[in-house]
Amino acid sequence: MKNFVIGFATPFVLIPLVTTAYLALGFDDTRSDVKPPAWETAIMQPAVRAAVKRSAANLSAPSVATEDSIIAGGKLYVRGCMGCHGEPGKPFAEDRSNYPRIPQLPNVGTQYSEPEIYWIIKHGVRMTAMSAYGPFYSDEQLWSLAAFIQRVDKLTPAEIQAIQPQKH
Amino acid sequence: MKTFLQGFAVGTLALILLSLLFLGTGLVDIRSDVVPSPFVSRFLDIATHASVRRHAPALQSPLPLNDEQVIIAGGKLYLNDCVGCHGEPGKPSKFGSTFYPPVPQLGQTSTRYSEAQIVWIATHGVRRSGMGAEGTSYSDPEYWRLAAFIRRMTQLPPHVLEAAKAPDSSTTSSQPQSDEKK
Repeated sequence: MKNFVIGFATPFVLIPLVTTAYLALGFDDTRSDVKPPAWETAIMQPAVRAAVKRSAANLSAPSVATEDSIIAGGKLYVRGCMGCHGEPGKPFAEDRSNYPRIPQLPNVGTQYSEPEIYWIIKHGVRMTAMSAYGPFYSDEQLWSLAAFIQRVDKLTPAEIQAIQPQKH
Repeated sequence: MKTFLQGFAVGTLALILLSLLFLGTGLVDIRSDVVPSPFVSRFLDIATHASVRRHAPALQSPLPLNDEQVIIAGGKLYLNDCVGCHGEPGKPSKFGSTFYPPVPQLGQTSTRYSEAQIVWIATHGVRRSGMGAEGTSYSDPEYWRLAAFIRRMTQLPPHVLEAAKAPDSSTTSSQPQSDEKK
């Protein structure tokens, strides 16, 4: 029994030590244009989803989104998000520069609810190219962005027209 | 010995299951505006640095990297495309600070990387960070000019920085869409 306990405890010391050494000696490939092993993606993508769902569980939108606030969010999207996340109405072009890949929202849509999108934009996502926009947008702007992004793969042609920048 | 190995196998399995449970139930804090412990941050930094040193080929520059014209040309590229996140001397980027890992403020702190390593990082990006692979956005000589500037940015004579900042009608075309326009 004593040997079993020692055997049980050993990996709890050994595996973190080996992992730390592997990383600290620089064996991990850091290039973002090369895909990491599939098991990493298979573990980390659901982990991010679960973390978002847990963190935003108690949030709810202050009011139901109106067509006006969706369009207002769309205008913010065109100015601030489109450069990385893709342009509504354009064909799908996968991001190959960043890892984790930047989701091309108008093509793939989102599985997150409005409060979850609000939370992601406000706080950003660690270890990705998604930074925190809390310091740059008001709460109202964040909610309108969230309302827009929730619908970004189902926009009508009229909505796509309405969010285009005004020509002067 | 046999019971030790049995314990080892069960322990390994338990550790893996616990880790997956921790990740899968969303207990990780993923907010980029909340900084993890200094220990974790420092370790990630060390690991990235070690990886670049191990993987980046020690290429020779085709250009004279101390040449003022090379540095100025690199500065023009930098001030066009990189400054939004990486900042400039005396002007750190607030936007860059909202990422985790935070974007290195290259105008404030000298980089530890050699020019060859900077070329490699800019070309291939850094996984699990905000640094995308620039790939074919630049030619090979452009990467070396950029690296020459980035490597020397914190100790440039004022006139070199001024020359890099001076408007130049021939190089202001084809600026990629930046996501933080005023």
